[in-house]
Amino acid sequence: MTDEPVRLTTTVKGAGCAAKLAPGVLDKALCGLDLPVDPNVLVGLERADDAGVYRVSADLALVQTVDFFPPMVDDPFSFGQIAAANALSDIYAMGGVPKTAMNIVAFPSKTLDISILRAIIEGGLDKMREAGVVLVGGHTIEDSELKYGLSVTGYISPDRIMTKKNLQVGDCLILTKPLGTGIITTAIKAGLADQAVIDMVTMAMTTLNRVAALTMDSFQVHACTDITGFGFLGHLAEMVVDSEYGVRINASNVPIYSEALEWAAMGLIPAGAYNNKSFRGSFVDFSTDVNQNVQDLLYDPQTSGGLLIAVAARDAENLVDALKMNGIDCAAIVGEVVREPVSRIVVV
Amino acid sequence: MLNTLDCRGMECPGPVLHVRKTLLDVSPASITVLVDNEAARQNVIRLLEYQKYQVTSDKLGDDIRVTGTKGDGVNIPEESSFALPIIERGVRAKKIVVLITSVHMGHGDDGLGDMLMFNFIKTLKELGPDLWRVIFVNSGVSFTAEDSEAVPVLLELAETGIQIMACGACLAFFHLLDKMQVGEVTNMLDIVISMKEADSVVTV
Repeated sequence: MTDEPVRLTTTVKGAGCAAKLAPGVLDKALCGLDLPVDPNVLVGLERADDAGVYRVSADLALVQTVDFFPPMVDDPFSFGQIAAANALSDIYAMGGVPKTAMNIVAFPSKTLDISILRAIIEGGLDKMREAGVVLVGGHTIEDSELKYGLSVTGYISPDRIMTKKNLQVGDCLILTKPLGTGIITTAIKAGLADQAVIDMVTMAMTTLNRVAALTMDSFQVHACTDITGFGFLGHLAEMVVDSEYGVRINASNVPIYSEALEWAAMGLIPAGAYNNKSFRGSFVDFSTDVNQNVQDLLYDPQTSGGLLIAVAARDAENLVDALKMNGIDCAAIVGEVVREPVSRIVVV
Repeated sequence: MLNTLDCRGMECPGPVLHVRKTLLDVSPASITVLVDNEAARQNVIRLLEYQKYQVTSDKLGDDIRVTGTKGDGVNIPEESSFALPIIERGVRAKKIVVLITSVHMGHGDDGLGDMLMFNFIKTLKELGPDLWRVIFVNSGVSFTAEDSEAVPVLLELAETGIQIMACGACLAFFHLLDKMQVGEVTNMLDIVISMKEADSVVTV
């Protein structure tokens, strides 16, 4: 080992969820494919949600997801934790309980020491343990750039699947993690972030959405998703487009990292944010009070972001209190579901 | 003295860092930056505006040139915060907007109308540098989506700097939002502003 640790983020081109293939491009490969049909597929590709759901029996279904990406932080153990938390998040967003996982690894063994891979997998295992998940296998290939993630399988009750759809008018929208990780990880890659900021954002990205999911379980939640590569507005748009209602977001209530605001002003915005904006911008109306940097933050691709929960208005304050009591301090009501304008997002 | 920084081929956030370093080192009165992608263009504009430069950008072949100037030298009008950034190209005498509202041209036989409309789109390039934006609404948006034989024609137009825009609500209505192959998604406000800024609007 050399004295100077390898900075993982300098070894790859894209960082974290900012490395996601642009929305719309992927569709070229997927659209019109002849998909096998099975009546037990409760949530499949055609209604793309956070995870797929397959019914095994009347009261049990499998919920499955996969997620992997290049490093967005320099420390291997933290990267492993973040990749695992991010992959597990899709199961939590569906209302499922994760049970088993497999590692997916692409590793450049000629340029990186194998001890780095060990540290990454240890980080992943750390989060699997916390989630009560067992590692049952994996697959590793030689590649020019490092990538790590998990495929995760869990249980879910077929009548308690929490999808992105099913917003009800009057619902309050609650967000459980601050926005800005895409911009901050871009600043980390640029070498502009100090250790305190790196620690803060690493802590947020390694936090499982497990507690948030368990907490929301006892409230009247109508829809839920997790905020990742498409950004807050991109994922919100998935909930709103084709629904019978619209949403109104109060930008000043949305939890965001103040550091990210400053870096946005400097132009440290990942290309993914611009992709998200051009893909979903036509569904969003900003009030002139919402400044450009805040608008960008709302499109910023998140790595292992929080849950976005649509909950009945009468339960909203109680859910926020419960989330805070369980240590999710930044949880906040960020908007509400409104009758009009239909299928649009208004940000004030 | 004009400083030119070549940031082509740099991965994000390379261009911003490169420009930032130059600004910190020499704080030039004017600076020109070459980039090769839209995210880099917007990010460099952001940084220069943050540093109180007045910024313009234009297209140079496949690349994009961003220019920032400080002080009283040049009076550059501020871009409307609503309008899309306008990428100028060549010498344009007029700004023509072509608004395509349907898959057919004219009324009568739709088969004939389809053929005429495709022919019309193929012939648009004859407008030369005066053609500014081609905007698609209603069923016209299908020309920007996969399977349309117009896509390669529009890509060619876009490469010469002509802006291809398709109404987002229309794309959504026809379930084409994910299938768009060329141009950018726009909204009614941009369409109205385009009409206002244009010297002439041709509606077909």
